[in-house]
Amino acid sequence: MSEEDDLLSFMYACPFGLMELDAQGNIGLINPHAMKHLLPLAGAYGVENFFSATEKYAPELRNFADSFVDSHGTICDGHRIVVDLGYNNRSRQPKVLACSLVKRGPDQLIATLSDISAQVAQEQRMRQADTWFSALIDQINDHALLTIAGDGTVLFANTSFERQTGYTAEQVIGHPLDSVLSEADSADQMTFSIADQLALATRDGWHLFEGWEQRVNGERYWCQRLLVARAEQGDSDNPTFSMVLRDVPEPTEKTNDLIELLTRDYLTGATNRMQFHKVLKLEHTRCTTRRQPLALIILDLDDFKSLNDEHGHPAGDTVLKEVTRIGADCTPARAIFARLGGEEFALLLPEKSLHEAVDLAQTLRRRIAELKIEVPGGHIDVTASLGCAELSETDGSSDDLIRVADRRLYDAKSEGRDRVAPAAA
Amino acid sequence: MSDTQPTFETIQLSDLENMAPEDRDALEFGVIGLRPDTRADVYNATEANMAGVDPAQVLGAPFFSTIGQCMNNFMVAQRFEDEPDLDDIVPFVLTLRMRPTRVRLRLLQARDTERRYILVER
Repeated sequence: MSEEDDLLSFMYACPFGLMELDAQGNIGLINPHAMKHLLPLAGAYGVENFFSATEKYAPELRNFADSFVDSHGTICDGHRIVVDLGYNNRSRQPKVLACSLVKRGPDQLIATLSDISAQVAQEQRMRQADTWFSALIDQINDHALLTIAGDGTVLFANTSFERQTGYTAEQVIGHPLDSVLSEADSADQMTFSIADQLALATRDGWHLFEGWEQRVNGERYWCQRLLVARAEQGDSDNPTFSMVLRDVPEPTEKTNDLIELLTRDYLTGATNRMQFHKVLKLEHTRCTTRRQPLALIILDLDDFKSLNDEHGHPAGDTVLKEVTRIGADCTPARAIFARLGGEEFALLLPEKSLHEAVDLAQTLRRRIAELKIEVPGGHIDVTASLGCAELSETDGSSDDLIRVADRRLYDAKSEGRDRVAPAAA
Repeated sequence: MSDTQPTFETIQLSDLENMAPEDRDALEFGVIGLRPDTRADVYNATEANMAGVDPAQVLGAPFFSTIGQCMNNFMVAQRFEDEPDLDDIVPFVLTLRMRPTRVRLRLLQARDTERRYILVER
């Protein structure tokens, strides 16, 4: 065998995806492992360009490359792409790919792609184990401990709790926990009532929560709370919980930046796909437990590809940012507006009916249609199609909620775009 | 063999099974034959030339975890698992000599035949 054959065999068998791209993302060289991951994302007609192929799941990759000014260097390293929102996935575990991009010259990029789903699942297990382990250590050190009944009544408080909060045990035992502790999380995160947190701890075995807490003397402190379902008693109708409270330094700017980076879409600042997936699961549990409705709007911009082709990606990016601004404007308390990928957005509406969702979708549609994006020589008109669904119309799963909303989005598209389906609830 | 060469679309599983290796090598399309454990035991000359791979590197090796990695997903490998009787043509992109190359694949499998085939047309 010649040296070239050796090299080819080596590349064919490489268990790691490797690609060479030009600055626009067009694929020059690609090995089979990379193709294995790209084909299911993009189909056989969409794998010529790496950025287009990953647009739906990681639209930020194009932005990373566009905004990298140096002629050489690492653009991103091990950037995580969650490629399944559940309903196309047999294993129900989202598949996570890691992507690195390196710039080798003005018009040459190298991209790597590998499947790290197993590693991510392992990390989650480690984090869970870590939480449990910390809880054990916490009892040795000076950390407050409460025992709570299933209805939220405090059954026991240790002396550390008295020291941390200034309450005496007598003042809290027999009282509902929400009269002692705050329910509000840090400003921009979700609010979960004590009942919600108990429901989540029942489902997952544990729930972590952090935010401002107040001592009896009015002093505020940053508090991490770990709520654990106690497993020792056999009476499943009357579960009890342990809660560990830690008085910790307020999170720094750096932590907040990291949270921002992990939960926001790079271009628009909307909630990203991964975070949407996480919140959807939490809200699904919460709304189901409390017998509250849970509505979803899926929004897709009409003819966005031709807009990009005609006016270029920067104009397309402006449209996406403007749509996000409108979306954020129309987002009620508790709801989240997320960019799912490409030109697809979702508005998750806990505690809202289908009727309310349709009304909101009409407002979004109207405001987007009123947008005028200025470009050289005129302006762009933008429209969107929207599909709405509510949990009680589905088989009860969050996957089906997405499926029904998606189907209605498709109806809105096929009925002529710039409309909402259903037209009225 | 008859005068009219079977084509990518018309050739049957039984034709492939009964063909002499040199006749399979003469076909205009790639022929890959796999054992039930996915090890390759047919890799015709057309395919070897197009891919630039020595058949000795392919034969006997589990196909989907070595040279055929790009087919190791729901579009090809999973279909052989799920559909005991399979005869379908799918558009696909191979990475021949590391260049993305559009092809058509024909996937052939039948309950009464041990070997399953992937035909490749460029």
